[in-house]
Amino acid sequence: MSARLGDDRVWRWVTLSPALLAMLALSVLPLANLFATSFLHVTWAQGHAVRSLVGVANYAALPADPLFRAGLVNTVVFAVAAVGAEMVLGFFLAVLCGRVGRGRIAYRTIFILPILVPGIVIGAIWKLMYNYDFGLINQIVGLAGVMPQDWLGSPETALLSVIVVDIWHWTPFCFLLCLAGLESLPQDVYEAARIDGASFRQELRYVTLPLMWPTLTVTLAFRLMVAFKVFDEVYLLTGGGPGTSTEVLSFTIFRRFFIEDRAGYGAAMSVAVIFLVCGLLVVALANRRRVVTTV
Amino acid sequence: MVSRRLTRRRVLAGAGAAGLALGGLTRRVRAAGAAPITIVINQSPWFDSFRKTVDLYQKESGNKVNLDVNPFAGSLEKQRSSVRANEGQFDLLIMNSGWFAEMYFGGFVTPINEIDAGFKLDPDVYTLDGSVYFDAEKKVMAPSGKLMSVPIAPLIPLLYYRGDLYKGAGLKPADTFAALEDNAKKLNHPPGIYGIVQRGARGTSSVSYDFYPYLFGFGGDVFKDRKSGDYTIRLNDDAGHIALDYYLRLAKEAGHPKTASLDQAEVIQNMVTGKAAHVMMVVSAWSQMDDPNKSAVVDKVEFAPTPHAPGLPPGPGLGHWLAGVAHNVPDDRKHAAVDFLKWYQTKDAQLANAKNGGIPISAAVYKDPISQERRFRWMPAMVESLPHAVNIFQFPQSAEVIAILDVGLNRAVAGEITAVDALNGMAGQIHDVMAKYGYKTGSLPLK
Repeated sequence: MSARLGDDRVWRWVTLSPALLAMLALSVLPLANLFATSFLHVTWAQGHAVRSLVGVANYAALPADPLFRAGLVNTVVFAVAAVGAEMVLGFFLAVLCGRVGRGRIAYRTIFILPILVPGIVIGAIWKLMYNYDFGLINQIVGLAGVMPQDWLGSPETALLSVIVVDIWHWTPFCFLLCLAGLESLPQDVYEAARIDGASFRQELRYVTLPLMWPTLTVTLAFRLMVAFKVFDEVYLLTGGGPGTSTEVLSFTIFRRFFIEDRAGYGAAMSVAVIFLVCGLLVVALANRRRVVTTV
Repeated sequence: MVSRRLTRRRVLAGAGAAGLALGGLTRRVRAAGAAPITIVINQSPWFDSFRKTVDLYQKESGNKVNLDVNPFAGSLEKQRSSVRANEGQFDLLIMNSGWFAEMYFGGFVTPINEIDAGFKLDPDVYTLDGSVYFDAEKKVMAPSGKLMSVPIAPLIPLLYYRGDLYKGAGLKPADTFAALEDNAKKLNHPPGIYGIVQRGARGTSSVSYDFYPYLFGFGGDVFKDRKSGDYTIRLNDDAGHIALDYYLRLAKEAGHPKTASLDQAEVIQNMVTGKAAHVMMVVSAWSQMDDPNKSAVVDKVEFAPTPHAPGLPPGPGLGHWLAGVAHNVPDDRKHAAVDFLKWYQTKDAQLANAKNGGIPISAAVYKDPISQERRFRWMPAMVESLPHAVNIFQFPQSAEVIAILDVGLNRAVAGEITAVDALNGMAGQIHDVMAKYGYKTGSLPLK
């Protein structure tokens, strides 16, 4: 009996191994290569790469890098503000959409439109919207007698302007996940609450939110991860400027790694960001597990 | 009757003769037409003129040239990937002033005379502050080194100004910074027209490139003596402070309200839509000024060397493009690439280049009667400026320094930090970069 079990186990590993090896080759090896490169300084001479081991010097240099510091602060501000707003808006739009009797499909289609737009088109749309001379936003505020604003060129408004674009782009994603979560909730709990005379607010507070918590946590974790990787909106709208007001981590990595060709330092920065995002994921999932256990 | 029977001797003799004939034929074919080459290039405002000039070369020589066209940063990435491979995809690299040092130092381009010992740079071709040469021993770009490249586009900034507005206001062309400031203030009537529109945005090389003519024109510099390899930082000396104060004052008192977010395209747009009285812009934008499909100021824009402080020459920073032959391509393609360069440096080719809208690399064209034609009214300003053009970055880590300058200057333009803080901050960071890579460097006391 035990010999047969052992045979099964061996056979299982034999059959799984090609897939495991493929997965290792595709995901683990590139990360391992990135990690190894982060301890090197790479230069070029006579047409060949010259790699020298620098230990943890690349990591040690990160805190002193003004762009990395600015990028870290801005990324945290961006992620918290944008994802917070997207979660709140997405959730309430989903609740409202769930209560609409007629035209629900039409609303749903309209709400998810921005997520279908490619990043480069989003850049074009909002670059035009924010244009100082002929942008729609300045024309609208001009109707109220407000002077035109340099939304993307002023340090006070640039990051906020990029956050607004991200909210416009990603709220539909939160909306979709929340709507799917809401539609899968057991209706008998709501019926019981209504029989007990619960108001809409009480239903929301004591029924919907606790039951939706796992969905909200996963959505939040996923959105935070994506928000920490924001690049295209910044690249297309502001290029990290003015000054460092919209510098974000992905843009700093792009600059250090690709433009400045600092493979070792760029790799160290990338590894640091990967750890940061993984840390967030662990916290979010641990929190979800705790809440699910409590519920 | 002669026997027609095939003997072993006859077969061998026939095969030998056929082999010789085929060998001779192959040599004749190779002599008649060079191998096809691929040029990796960026999509810049002058690209269209280059494409037309390449078309002419193909027509005249019968040789095939493929163009691999990319955005600015994309071109650099493709060049890096190609030259670092075992065998390169691209034969001729069109290298910008911001990255050709990386190609020289890394050994990624073959010295031209190692491909063709008889190749000579035409004496009329501008060597652009010696940037076509590289002395690998001394690690400097000077005629003591080997010829590494041929200029493709000798780009420098010029002062573009509205001749019609000058005439209307009775102004004289500004040759000094004081005159420019006066004229810009007199013509500044926002929001209809701005006295000057500057390229203050942060980019790969945006506000820094816009600032160089001011810095050099006031007698300042980033480094003490780059020609001798002394990279002591002097960006924050008195001249640097005067230059940045002036640049910011001009933006504030006679410039565009969103200077901090204006990049090259927006600056050109302001000029061609008639909203700018002056811009300091790379010369290659000239053709857009007189294009009736794009410009509302056709025949109204005049050109002059960038202004300077009294007693000093103009200081246009080179934003030029050089063509170098990749080190890792087959010999026949290297020879074909040199064939193209030989043709490209001739006066006839450069005359065609100018007529196609390009910027000639040969002084012979600027001396030609063509330079007196109204459409080429920028040529005298080029002739006056080119001898003073400054090859700004002569080391492979220039991208790091440019990034520091672009961020620091942009923060000052945006009002995030003061000019003093910007200069001291940039000087400190650049010093750290140069020290990190082992260059001879030092710094000035902070102001």
